[in-house]
Amino acid sequence: MSWNEPGGDKKDPWSGRNNENSPPDLDEVIRSLQDKLGGIFGGRSGGGGDPEGAAMKGIGYLAAGALVLWGLSGFYTLDEGTRGVVTRFGAYIETTSPGLNWHIPAPIEQVQVINVEQQRFIEVGYRSGSGQALGSVPKEAMMLTKDENIVDVRLAVQYQVKDAKDYAFNVLDPNSTLKQVTESVERGVIGASNMDFVLTEGRSEIVMAIKAEIQSVMDNYKAGILVTSVNLQDAQPPEQVQGAFEDAIRAREDKQRLINEAEAYSNDVVPKARGAASRVIQEAEGYKVKVTAEATGDVSRFSQLLVEYKKAPAVTKERIYIESMESVLERSNNVLVDVKGGNNIMYLPLDKLTNKTSEEVQAAPVVHESVSTPPVREFKSDIRASSRERDVRGR
Amino acid sequence: MGNKIVVAVVVLVVLVSMSVFTVSETERAIKFRLGEIVAVDFKPGLHFKIPLINNVKKFDARILTMDSTPERFLTAEKKNVIVDSFVKWRIADVKTFYTSVGGDINQGNIRLDQIIKDSFRSEFSKRDIKQLVSTDRSAIREALITNVSPQALKLGIKIVDVQVKRIDLPNEVSSSVYQRMEAERARVAREFRSQGSEAAERIRADADKQREIILANAYRDSEVLRGEGDAKAADIFAKGYSEDQDFYAFYRSMIAYKQSLGKSGNIMVLEPDSDFFKFFKNKK
Repeated sequence: MSWNEPGGDKKDPWSGRNNENSPPDLDEVIRSLQDKLGGIFGGRSGGGGDPEGAAMKGIGYLAAGALVLWGLSGFYTLDEGTRGVVTRFGAYIETTSPGLNWHIPAPIEQVQVINVEQQRFIEVGYRSGSGQALGSVPKEAMMLTKDENIVDVRLAVQYQVKDAKDYAFNVLDPNSTLKQVTESVERGVIGASNMDFVLTEGRSEIVMAIKAEIQSVMDNYKAGILVTSVNLQDAQPPEQVQGAFEDAIRAREDKQRLINEAEAYSNDVVPKARGAASRVIQEAEGYKVKVTAEATGDVSRFSQLLVEYKKAPAVTKERIYIESMESVLERSNNVLVDVKGGNNIMYLPLDKLTNKTSEEVQAAPVVHESVSTPPVREFKSDIRASSRERDVRGR
Repeated sequence: MGNKIVVAVVVLVVLVSMSVFTVSETERAIKFRLGEIVAVDFKPGLHFKIPLINNVKKFDARILTMDSTPERFLTAEKKNVIVDSFVKWRIADVKTFYTSVGGDINQGNIRLDQIIKDSFRSEFSKRDIKQLVSTDRSAIREALITNVSPQALKLGIKIVDVQVKRIDLPNEVSSSVYQRMEAERARVAREFRSQGSEAAERIRADADKQREIILANAYRDSEVLRGEGDAKAADIFAKGYSEDQDFYAFYRSMIAYKQSLGKSGNIMVLEPDSDFFKFFKNKK
């Protein structure tokens, strides 16, 4: 039994005696006894009337007083949440409840006070008291899993005394026994699980299994301990492989990122295509309406003109012809050539004429040049030139 | 007189205290008579003895722990594992315990350790690491208890429980385990990334496909529409123009001339004899 377990600080561990309520110190008793005896015998040596009878009487009083004092020393109080385990000559008599109690004083009966509601805890795999946040104890924390991986598990077990009598009598050092059992049970349960299960979804299941198993072993020992909770402080891959594990986690994120990016692309492309499709169809519909409308218009115009034409075909035809020619010739540069002479060599400065006119025609000499000169230009300009050529030809 | 009484009381107290002894709940006791064991199995409480002739030895009756030092054992696949275990035991027979190990708990632990190590060795050599770590823990525990109990009983010891605390790989094996774990994680990481690429590619391809389909469908529908328009227009034209084909040809040509010729910049080289110029040279 350790010095401060289980009854708190009020008793010394050997006698189990409660200091507060224990009878007065032996030395003190003897001293007071001597004082009183000295008084009596002193009285006698002083030569009083009936010394013998007085002494007898004195001793009688003294004995009675001592008996009363001794009896009073049997009173003790128990705080809430504690139990007193009373033994008579070492044999268990009863377990007493909080409040004022009395036992036959020492050396006949003794009381061992045990706190049954105090939440005690043990730490396996780490020590919280060491200053930094979870000081690891690798010897306790590292363990093998079913798939022969190594994990770093840190566990805290909270417990309280279930049965004060069992706790006091059955096991030498129940607290360190609990720790040994926890280590063993923990490894058993973790060893029966795969690493991924331990590190991720299995946590609560594992904790439950460990708790039940510890309880059953401690009950088997009749240790009088009730495990109230088992907390998995930490379950991690060992430090040596943390990097690889973190990379795997990053990879999982990367996967999601790639998918998100692709979805963003998809979300961009498809609606745009739908928009473009919509435009194409709208345009086609527009075209359809347009051509029919134009056809109707054209035909209507023609039909109306035809009515008039039939009234005077020759005149109308002539008029239309002349008006058309007029409008054509009015807008172009006209050159009248009498080709009846046939053989005359006619020179028309076409390039000069065209210079004055439009850009489109200006491009023509360049084209001819590019065709006639060897292909010394770079490819790009060739392309440009040939495309221009195509333009011109198309025109 | 008073003196005598006091002396008598003191002598009485001394005599009584020499002739009684207590056994607590946590103790077992043996009573000797001049070295010979005369009684064991005292119930907790007050007991008597004859002063000077009887003497009494007390032993711990609680569950005690034999916490062995970690040791290497060879498994079935000839791998070394470091095993840390503990044994919970209590004194079953005080007399035997006293005679065999002198009633010394440390001695008891040492003897127990020897017995149990041997048993451990044989159990471990039957199993591979996987069985040791995951499946066979309780089987080992029970086998050890049944194997060791008879021998322990000869020492007056009752085995309450045998628990394997740690089964660890030696350092050099641990590091190869770490390497394997790393490689495995690398595999997982690569798998994740590849899966990501795969899914991304699939999504992109699907998007591209959808785009192509949408555009192609749109093209088809638009061409259908245009065709319809063209057909309808042709129908309208045909109906309208078939009334007088000659005039239509003339009329349409005139429009075409107007539309296509005579744009600024065009040069027309004309023959003065053309129909248009019939009044140009000579007035009739």
